[in-house]
Order: sequence, then C-alpha cells, then structure tokens
Amino acid sequence: MASNSEMGSADFESLLSTSDVELLKRAWRNEKAAPEILPYQGDLVERAKGQIELVEGNIEDYVEDGIDPLVVSLYQMDLDRTQFLLRSYLRVRLLKIEKFMFHILKSEEAESRLSEQEKAFARRCAADLTKHFEESVLLKLPENYQTVQKQSLISDEDDMVPEPNLDTFVVCRSKNSLKLNLYEEGETPVILDLDRGEPSFVRYRAVKRAFESGEVELI
Amino acid sequence: MMCRVLSERVNKKGRGAGMYGRKGYQLIKDFASGEKGHLKPFNSKLFDEAIEECDQNHHLIQSLIRKMQQEGLDVHDNRNADHYGALVHHLSLIRNKRCLMAYVHNRADIVRDLAWTIGLEIIELPPDIQEKLTALEKDYFKNHSVAITSYMGKVGIELNVDMVPPKDPYIKIRVVGDIEQGIVMSDKTTNFTRHSMHFLRRTDAEPYIARGQMEELTG
Repeated sequence: MASNSEMGSADFESLLSTSDVELLKRAWRNEKAAPEILPYQGDLVERAKGQIELVEGNIEDYVEDGIDPLVVSLYQMDLDRTQFLLRSYLRVRLLKIEKFMFHILKSEEAESRLSEQEKAFARRCAADLTKHFEESVLLKLPENYQTVQKQSLISDEDDMVPEPNLDTFVVCRSKNSLKLNLYEEGETPVILDLDRGEPSFVRYRAVKRAFESGEVELI
Repeated sequence: MMCRVLSERVNKKGRGAGMYGRKGYQLIKDFASGEKGHLKPFNSKLFDEAIEECDQNHHLIQSLIRKMQQEGLDVHDNRNADHYGALVHHLSLIRNKRCLMAYVHNRADIVRDLAWTIGLEIIELPPDIQEKLTALEKDYFKNHSVAITSYMGKVGIELNVDMVPPKDPYIKIRVVGDIEQGIVMSDKTTNFTRHSMHFLRRTDAEPYIARGQMEELTG
C-alpha cells in the first residue's frame, strides 16, 4: 500500500493499462472487431473469474457489515461491468464458432485457438447442424449431392463451407508508429504509415500480422 | 407495378416448363422478403418443389449418361450435346441445393439467435414464433440449447444474461405480460401484477424483458 503513493503517474498509467480488467476489455474489443476467431485468453479468463468471485464475496461482507448502500452499489456496478465483459467475451467467441463451425473444425490452426470447452461446443454444434441439414435437405437429394461440405461428390474442394472474410475492413490503432505493408502479390506496393495512437481504417488481412504480434489493437 | 405485371405474364408462360433453378431462387426470395431476423412460416410448398426439381434433374442426368454409354461413348471425355445437357442439369441441381441449404441455414441462424436472446427452453418462446418453426427446427433448437447449456455448465458462467452493456445496476420496469405470482428476485418476493412498476436489479429483470413480459422504463 505504501508504495502506491511513491509511484509516478506514468507508472500508475502503465499499471492501470495492464490490470486484468483492461486486458479483458482489450481482448473483448479485439475479438469483437476481428473477423476470425482469435486465440483463447485462458489465463486471463481464469483470473477474471477469480476476481469476480472475490468481489462478490466482499460485497456480501459489506452488506452484512452495514456499509453505506451507496458505496456497496458502486462496487456492485463495477462488478456488473466486469461480469458483462467476461460474459460478452465468451459469448462473442461462441457466436463466431456457431458461424464458422465447419471452417474451424477443418482448420487445425483455427481449432487450436479454442479452449477445450469451446472445442467440445464446436463439435457439438457441427454435429447438430449437420443432422439438421441432413434431415431437412440432404437426405432428400440424389445420392451424389448429400454432403454438407461439398456441392456434389465431383467437387475437388469443400466448396460449401462459410469462411471468415479476412478482407473486411477494421479500425485499428498502433501502439508505436509503424510502417504497414499493404502490398500483396500482383499489386503495386503501398506502404501505410500508422502513427502512434492514430486510428486507421484498413483491411484485416493487411494488419493481421502486426495485430497478432501485439503491435496493433483493434477498436 | 409494371414489373409485377410483366413477371406475372412470364410466370404464366413459364409455368409447367419453367426455368431450371428458379424454384430455389424463389425460395431464397421468400426468405429475403421477410423482416430481418424474423421468421416467416416454413415455405414447404416451394421447398418440396425445389427438391422435386432436383430429382427430375438427377433422372435426366442419368438417362443422358445411359444414352451416351449405350452409344459407346466415354462419358468423361466426350463433349457432345448430351454431355452438355447433363452438365446443365447438374448445374441446376447444384444451384437448387445451394438455395435449399441457404434457406435452411439462414433459418437455423435465426433459431440459434432465439435460443440466445429469448430463452433456452422451447416453451419460453412466444406461441407465434413457435408456430413458425418446423418439427425439425424445434429439434434443432433443443439440441443447440443443450450445447449452450453444457458449455455454460462447464465454464460455470451464465452467458445468456447481460446481453447489453450495463449502465445502472438497477432499472425501472413496467410489467406488461402475465407473470406468475410469488417470484423471488435476489432478495425479496414481489407481486408482479400487470401494469405495476418496479425498481429491480437489471440482471433479475433481463429474462422477463427478453420474453416481453416487462418493459424497461427509460428517461
């Protein structure tokens, strides 16, 4: 506690920006903005769960101790916000899994970003939807046209699997000034300067690498 | 108006013969004409007609292939009229399949959304929505609800509450539907007579608001 007062405001800011609630908020914002599923922040979720339980316990104690209801309701409000963040974070991920379940289960890389529970959820979702498709449509079609993933058996690739659109535009902010290469093969090279803290509107695919290395965050 | 007259005329002319793949297209149009996020009754007439057209296409493909085989031609290498005839039927079949699948897929998206936003039990859905679901869609709803419930059980967090970011821990509501008596809200038993107004914890009120039994009073 004593060290608190000795800390400069810059230290305090950096401490604040690395608090779990801030990290959770960032993870939630990134997840909401990114078109594809991102790596699961398991440790962060566990810590947030622990903190929520702790504060819940504290609030109960405050109520028993007869602390001013206004103060208690402020703690409660803070707790509600954190709980919303956590729930919304997990929910946004599940909704993405629902949307791209077949794609995620097909791609080892995408599947590796899920938690164990999410993997189980994805597999279950895919099994349920496959069953639903089969009973509603596929079993009524001629034999060569009965798979979910392909238009017909003569398709070489899975051409019926919805995939996230990585060319969608996202708003991002860079932590430091950064040169972003928008160049793709067959295109004229374009370099975009991202100034520190300035929001930019770019294609997700172009910023994907910088985003994954943590240099850029989505907003 | 002009367009409608024209298309009616075309329809009359085209009836019987029809253009391949049109049934599927009409099915999609039927879905798209509905309000976004809301279900219309399942159009089983058009749906069955599209399935039937797939069958016809398939029969015609097979008879063309048989014809080529009888003529001693290689089905894969020969590019005669019968080959392209079979190809047209194949493409029509694929198009209908995509439309049928898209129809069921888009409806399934709404069905999942109902589970998230209204309730995980089929009886929680308002009767007019239940009526619009087919038996298969009801099964799908139940299965998906189980998938969500099982995930929530494993992570130990309820995810189908707190759908909007919290502003205040307490909100003012008015009872607009029938709610059975003697429901315990967090701390106290309350009598929710219709039209009565209450000051409730937001998390307690949310499920009732989702089901349309309460409305939030703002401003």
